[in-house]
Amino acid sequence: MALLELKNVNVRYIMKDKKVHACQHVSLEIEEQDSIGIVGESGSGKSTLASAVLRLLPQRITQVDGEILYNGKDLLKLTKDEMDALRWTDLSIVFQKSMSALSPVHKVGAQMEDVYRVHFPNAQKEEIKQRVYDLFKVVNLSDRVYELYPHELSGGMMQRVSIALSLLHNPRLLVLDEATTALDVVTQSQILREIMSLEQNLNVTRIMITHDVSVVASTCKKIAVMYAGRLMESGETKDVLVNPQHPYTQGLLKSFPSFKGAKNDLRGIPGSLPDLSQEIPGCVFAPRCPFATEKCRTVEPELKTVNGKGNWKVACHKVGGE
Amino acid sequence: MKRYIGKRALSGLLVVLLSVCFNFTLIRLAPGDPIRIMAGTDNPNEEMIEALQQKYGLDKSIPEQFVMFLGNVAKGDLGYSYISDESVIKLIGEKIGPTLALSLTAVLLSVTFGTLIGIYAARKNGSRFDRFVCSISYVFDATPGFWLGLMMILIFASSLKWFPTSGMVNLRANYKGFAYFADVCRHLVLPISTMVLTQTPYYFRIARSSVLQVMSEDFITTFKATGMKESRIFNKYVLRNAILPTVTVLGMSLAFLLSGSVLIETVFAWPGMGRLMFSSISKRDYPVLTGIYLVTSVVICIAMILVDILYGFIDPRIRYD
Repeated sequence: MALLELKNVNVRYIMKDKKVHACQHVSLEIEEQDSIGIVGESGSGKSTLASAVLRLLPQRITQVDGEILYNGKDLLKLTKDEMDALRWTDLSIVFQKSMSALSPVHKVGAQMEDVYRVHFPNAQKEEIKQRVYDLFKVVNLSDRVYELYPHELSGGMMQRVSIALSLLHNPRLLVLDEATTALDVVTQSQILREIMSLEQNLNVTRIMITHDVSVVASTCKKIAVMYAGRLMESGETKDVLVNPQHPYTQGLLKSFPSFKGAKNDLRGIPGSLPDLSQEIPGCVFAPRCPFATEKCRTVEPELKTVNGKGNWKVACHKVGGE
Repeated sequence: MKRYIGKRALSGLLVVLLSVCFNFTLIRLAPGDPIRIMAGTDNPNEEMIEALQQKYGLDKSIPEQFVMFLGNVAKGDLGYSYISDESVIKLIGEKIGPTLALSLTAVLLSVTFGTLIGIYAARKNGSRFDRFVCSISYVFDATPGFWLGLMMILIFASSLKWFPTSGMVNLRANYKGFAYFADVCRHLVLPISTMVLTQTPYYFRIARSSVLQVMSEDFITTFKATGMKESRIFNKYVLRNAILPTVTVLGMSLAFLLSGSVLIETVFAWPGMGRLMFSSISKRDYPVLTGIYLVTSVVICIAMILVDILYGFIDPRIRYD
């Protein structure tokens, strides 16, 4: 059984006079100890999807339906208390804006202590301190950070604090929402290496949200490509990146330079994201797709398996079948 | 920290000196002449005017007068009122108590009510309570205090006769001890209510918007994601962050404690600094005015220094080294 299974998840932001379909018909399976990278351009619904899984979207203005099965339990149907019990011990997250991830007027250590006590209310101060020091060592921070305030740390240090915080209770599923995007490449690769080694030791499953395909290529077993709230293509990283099937994936990959190999022309994808408050008939990518046909503009493509590989799926009329 | 306080005290002293210098010069340059007022309008005697001018040193130039004034201040002497011939220190000393009893109580009550209601309204953002209190706060914020005071007198003093119309004590009763205290309290109810009603909306809106703003911060999402109870997030993290603007505003209103309630004191015939200042201005009583300005600017400086120090304790981002 998959650790996390999304079945036909839809997320809508409800505005006064319109509904924005931020995610539509997203189905995805994440096995235990997998690492999956969700990529796509800004506004493609990656972060919304992650927040929906963790039920962090503001309830009043969002509508989430479908099924989000974690260990077979539908997270959307849990009560608030049941969900709170899963938070941080099972599901944790690192946010992009780590500089504001902690309260500016409380010490880093005190806040981590507080978070530790959410699930172990009777923990001793010394025991917590030891745990935090251990985690600081993992992310390469000195012990003195414990007594500092967030504004006394650099962006990279705060990012490490956020990562250390997310690992506080050995979560089974860790979401990194653009967690390393703001870092310089050296720090980024250092932290990614640390996280990957942690995964092997601690049995963590990782969802990585980023628009940097190279990060996914080097750190994730699987990849899911999103566009305009829909899943375009998903599968093993080595399959999808080497031989992309969906025209959008192909376009996305052409907009990154290759380090080795031939010097191909860098090309972006002309056009921009469609208005997600409108109903879009057919494939969402059709208006920007160089191969679009009449069918693409009228019939929405289903996810289809590619080359008989069970976990490689593409939503495109041009692939498979015809 | 000690160095910082020393530095602030020194700069505060400079500010006081400058503001007194300005005020000293300005009121003397303003039209109107205290000697003319003293001499009377019917048949002023030129010799008497000259004698008076010499007696009070008004025949000298303004810089000379200022130096003399500073010398006297250094000796602890603020001079004597031209009108009543009483010592300025005594005059101010008599009025400062009643003003503080009125303004300080009003400010403390407004801060407490405004902040508490503001926090509660923000917690219940969008609820019926929130909308109700918000609209009420706009009404009272737009109401002029002196008008509200007059209405209070009209309704609660003249018509209902629940409270006295004006003054600080019942002059005919000659109360002693606790009865005196109770009588002052009875006289305080209407002016304080007026001030609280017009000042509370200010603190209410600061507290409410500040809590709402903090609740939308990223770190609140972090704590929610960790499964922390919402009451704990609110009581520990939201409040501590949201209280900072209230402290700033409180500091500013403490600065206006002595001089900020002229209109209310006038409406309620409250024997405080505001009225003393008002009557001194109309009679060009220079020594009393200069004395009031001196005391007021000293209080403002002390209030500001206290708030800055307090800030250092509640916001770790502010350091004074």
